[in-house]
Amino acid sequence: MTLLLLLLIPVVVACGLPLLPAESPWVRRLALLAALAQMSVGLLAWRTPPADLSVSWLPKLGLRLDLGLDGLSLPLVLLAALITAMAVLATPVGQSRPRLFFALLLVTNVGLMGSFLARNALLFVLAYELIMIPTTLLVAIWGGERRAGAAIRFLIYGAVSGITLLAAVLAFGWLNPGGVDFSFTDLAHHNLTLQQQHWLLALVLVAFGLKLPIVPLHGWQPLTYSQAPTPVAMLLSGAVSKLGAYGLLRFGIQFLPDAWSDWSAWIAAVGAVSAIYGALNAIAQLDMRRLVAYSSLGHMGFLVLALAAATPLSLQGMMAQILAHGLIIALLFCLVGLIETKTGTAEIPALSGLLNAQRGLPFTMGLLLLALMAAAGVPGQAGFVAELLVFEGSWVAYPIPTLVCLVSSGFTAVYAVRLFNRVGFGRLDNAKADWASTSWGERVPALVLTALVLVGGIWPALLTGWSEDATAPLALRSSDAVTVIAAAPHTSISELSA
Amino acid sequence: MTTTTAPEPTKAPLIPPSTHRYADVIHRLEAGGSMLPDTPENLKQIIGIYKAYAVPMDFYWRDLLYIAEQVFLNPLPAFKYFISKEYLDRPNSYAGDQSQLRIWRGTEKAHPELLEFMDRGETRRMPKLLHHLWHDRVNMEFAEACMQAMLWHQGMGGRFNDYLESDAYKANADRAIKAYFKGNPLMLGLYKLFPEMVLEQVRQLSYYANLGLFWEVMAPVFFEMSDIYDEGGFKGVPDAMDFLVNGIFAVAGRPIYHHVFIDGECFEIIPKSEGFTWLYEAALPYVEAVFYRTSPFRGTKSYNAQAGQVPANQADFHYGILYADVYPVGSAGIPPTLLMQDVLHFLPPYLKEIYKQHRRGEEDELIQLGITFQRSMYNVTSAVIQALRCALLYPLDDTDPKHLQANRAFFEAQMDRFLRPEARLPDIQTQDYR
Repeated sequence: MTLLLLLLIPVVVACGLPLLPAESPWVRRLALLAALAQMSVGLLAWRTPPADLSVSWLPKLGLRLDLGLDGLSLPLVLLAALITAMAVLATPVGQSRPRLFFALLLVTNVGLMGSFLARNALLFVLAYELIMIPTTLLVAIWGGERRAGAAIRFLIYGAVSGITLLAAVLAFGWLNPGGVDFSFTDLAHHNLTLQQQHWLLALVLVAFGLKLPIVPLHGWQPLTYSQAPTPVAMLLSGAVSKLGAYGLLRFGIQFLPDAWSDWSAWIAAVGAVSAIYGALNAIAQLDMRRLVAYSSLGHMGFLVLALAAATPLSLQGMMAQILAHGLIIALLFCLVGLIETKTGTAEIPALSGLLNAQRGLPFTMGLLLLALMAAAGVPGQAGFVAELLVFEGSWVAYPIPTLVCLVSSGFTAVYAVRLFNRVGFGRLDNAKADWASTSWGERVPALVLTALVLVGGIWPALLTGWSEDATAPLALRSSDAVTVIAAAPHTSISELSA
Repeated sequence: MTTTTAPEPTKAPLIPPSTHRYADVIHRLEAGGSMLPDTPENLKQIIGIYKAYAVPMDFYWRDLLYIAEQVFLNPLPAFKYFISKEYLDRPNSYAGDQSQLRIWRGTEKAHPELLEFMDRGETRRMPKLLHHLWHDRVNMEFAEACMQAMLWHQGMGGRFNDYLESDAYKANADRAIKAYFKGNPLMLGLYKLFPEMVLEQVRQLSYYANLGLFWEVMAPVFFEMSDIYDEGGFKGVPDAMDFLVNGIFAVAGRPIYHHVFIDGECFEIIPKSEGFTWLYEAALPYVEAVFYRTSPFRGTKSYNAQAGQVPANQADFHYGILYADVYPVGSAGIPPTLLMQDVLHFLPPYLKEIYKQHRRGEEDELIQLGITFQRSMYNVTSAVIQALRCALLYPLDDTDPKHLQANRAFFEAQMDRFLRPEARLPDIQTQDYR
C-alpha cells in the first residue's frame, strides 16, 4: 500500500486540480501537499520498509506492476518528492494557467516515482517515457523566449533516449535463450554472452547518457535548462537527470557487469571529458542559467567516473553525489530564477552590485554564495562529502580520469568566484535597480535546500546512510581496485534491500 | 542685496544660447535658477533634508568648537564626543536672543530634537557612555571627515591655510602648547623633540574651529528654511537658493578664528584681528574640499589605489557629494553612510511619506535620503556659484552683452567640472533618480 500511495498521491491530485477554479490558492497548496505527503510516505517507508508489490498487468508482454523500494531507490524517491515540493514553492504566485502547470509537475513526479519504484524493466521504460510528455509541455508552454526550439530539442533527445532504452530492454528478452519476464530479478540472472552484453551496454549507455547527460550526448541540456521555467529547471536538473545515473547503475553495473568492467576505462574517460568540458564551458558563459547548466554537466561527469570505477567507496560517493548535486543544482536554479524574476535578466554582464544591502538582493546573494561554495566542493557542505567519496573511491581504479575531474572541480571554484564577483560586487546601476526585495515566501525553497546542503556537509550520513548497504554488493572492484569481484553483480534485488 | 532676479522673458536674448553640454542648466542659472530643476517635489525634498541635516549639524558645530577650544591637545581624547553642557548651551552667534548678530529666527541653545535624541538615541534612555559604545549617537566622525578633507586638500582659496605656516601662528600655537602641557614633562619633551608633529595637531584643531564656525551659520539657516517652507513661504527651488545666497552675503564677513581655553585663560591662536572671513576662509574652501574633492572612502581607498583609480594630483580628486555614488553605501567621498544615518533620525514626516511611495519604501530610506541630500547640495553649490558670480562678476539683468558673456563664461567654467562621467548633475535633472 505504501508503494502504491507514493504513486497514487500525485496521480489523484493531478487529476483533481482541473476541478478547482484557476485562481484558487488551493491549486498550489494541493500540489504542495501532494509532494509533502509523498515525502512523508517515503520517510515512513524508510522507517518501516514495505513489502514488494507484484501485480500482473499484461502477462503476454511480460509487463507486471512490480514495485519495490531498496537502498538505491529510497533516497531518490525522497529527493524527487522534495524537489517537487520545492519546485511548487518556487513557482511564482501569479503563474499563468496554474492548474495545468502544477498538474504537469505532478505527472512528472509520477513518472519519476514509477521509474524509481519499478522492479520490472518494461514498467521502468513506461514510467521513463511518461516523464518526457509533461516536461516537454512545461518547457514549451512556460519556457523562455527560445522555448519552442528548446522543447523540440528536448523532445528529440528524450525520444531517442526512450526508444534506445526500449530497444535495450526488449533485446534482453530476445537475446535470452530461455526468455525473460523483464523483472529486475530475472534480468540480473541472464545468460547473455559477453558480446551480447556489449551491444546491450552500448544501448544502455546511449539511453542514460542522453538523460544525465554526458558529453557528447548533452546537446539538449544547456538550451533546455536555460529556457525552462525555474521550477521545471529545478526538477529536471535536481531529479530527472538523476534517473540517468540510477539507470546506469541498475542496467549497466547490475545487469551487464562483465561488459561494464570491459568498457569501464572508456566510461571513466567519458566522465572525465564531461567534467572538464562542463567546467570550461561554464567559465565561458555569460548567462547565469547556462553557467549553471554547464556546471551540472561537469558534475554529471563525476557521477560517471564513480560508476566506471565501481568500487564500494565510489558507488557510495556516487549515491551521495546524486543527492548532494540534486539539492545543490536545484538550489542554484532556484536562486538564479529568483534573481532573474527580480532583475528581469540572467545575463551576467547586465548585473552587478546585487550584494548591496539596501537595494540589491543581499539575502538571495548570500544563499547563492553558499550554493556556489557547495558546488565547488568547499568543506562543510554536502558537495564536499560527495566529491571526496567519489574521488577517493575512483582514484584507486582510474587515477588519471580522477585527476582530470579534480582539476575540473578546481575550475568550479573559478566560475563560481567569477559569477559571484561580477554579479554580487561592483556598482549597482541606479537606473536598473528598481525592484522589490524578495519576500519570505520566495525565500523558503532556497532556505530549505540550503539548510539540507549544510546538514549534508556537517552530517554526511544524510547522504550516505540510505544506500551504504545497497551499493556495496554492486561493486565490481574491491576498495583497493586490485580484485575484480565476479559474483556481486548477480546479487538479487531482495538481497540488495537495505 | 542679491541680484538673482530673472530677466524679463519678453526681452530678446542679448547673447546666443550656450552650446555647452549642460546648456539647459547654464540657461537656468542665467535666469536666476539653480542647478536643481524647479519642481515642487525637489523643493519639498531639499527643504526636508535641510531640516533633518540641521539637527545633527547643531551638534557638529558645537562639538567641533568644543574639541578645538577645550579638548585641544589631549593625547587620549576618548571623550571628545562627550560635549560639555556649556557647549550644548552655547548661544549660536546668529540666532536666539543672546546672539551677537541675530540674523535668523531659531533659538540660541541646542535644538530640542537633538537634545531628545542625545537622551534616548534610537534605542532607549541609558548612560551616555553606553549610547556611545553602542554607536547610538550622532556620528561626529562625519564632521571630522569633513574637517580632514579641508585640512588635507589645503590651499583652496583665502589666506587661512597660508597663515597656518606663518611665524605669528607658530608663536601663538607655541604659547598655547606650552600652557596646555605645563607640568607635563613627557609631552613637553615630545614637543621639544618633534615640534612639527604637535604643531600639525594644532593646525588640525584650527580646522576644527574653522568648520565649527562655518556650520554655526548653516544650522540656523537650514532650520529657518524649514520653518519658512512650513509657512508656505518658498514658491520654488530658486527661492530656496536665493535665501541661501542672501544668507551667504549676510555673514560673509563674519570672523573665522581659533581660540583655546586653558585653565580659564583664552589663547588666541588665530585672533579675530587677522581678518579671516566666513565666506573666503571657510565657506568656499569647505565647498571645494567637501562637495567636490574629499577622498576615496577609507574602506575602499586601498582597492581604488590598486586599481589605479586614485589620481596622483589631489586637485583631480572628485569624490565629493556632487560626484559620490551614494548607492553602494559607503563607497566614496565623505562617508555618506554616517551622515545618512544621522539625517535619518530627524526626517520630517512629509519626506518619509515621499520615500515610502518610491523604490523599496522604508527599506531603502537611507539611499533615497542620500540622493535627496545630493540634490540639496547641488542647490547649495548653486547658491555658492551665484554668490561668487554676484561678488566677482555682473548682475543677471545686466544689459551689456559683454558682461552677460562674462557671466556665461563663468557659469560654463563651473559646469565644466561636472563633465566628468561620475558627476551626478545629469542624474538630478530627472525625478526618477532616487
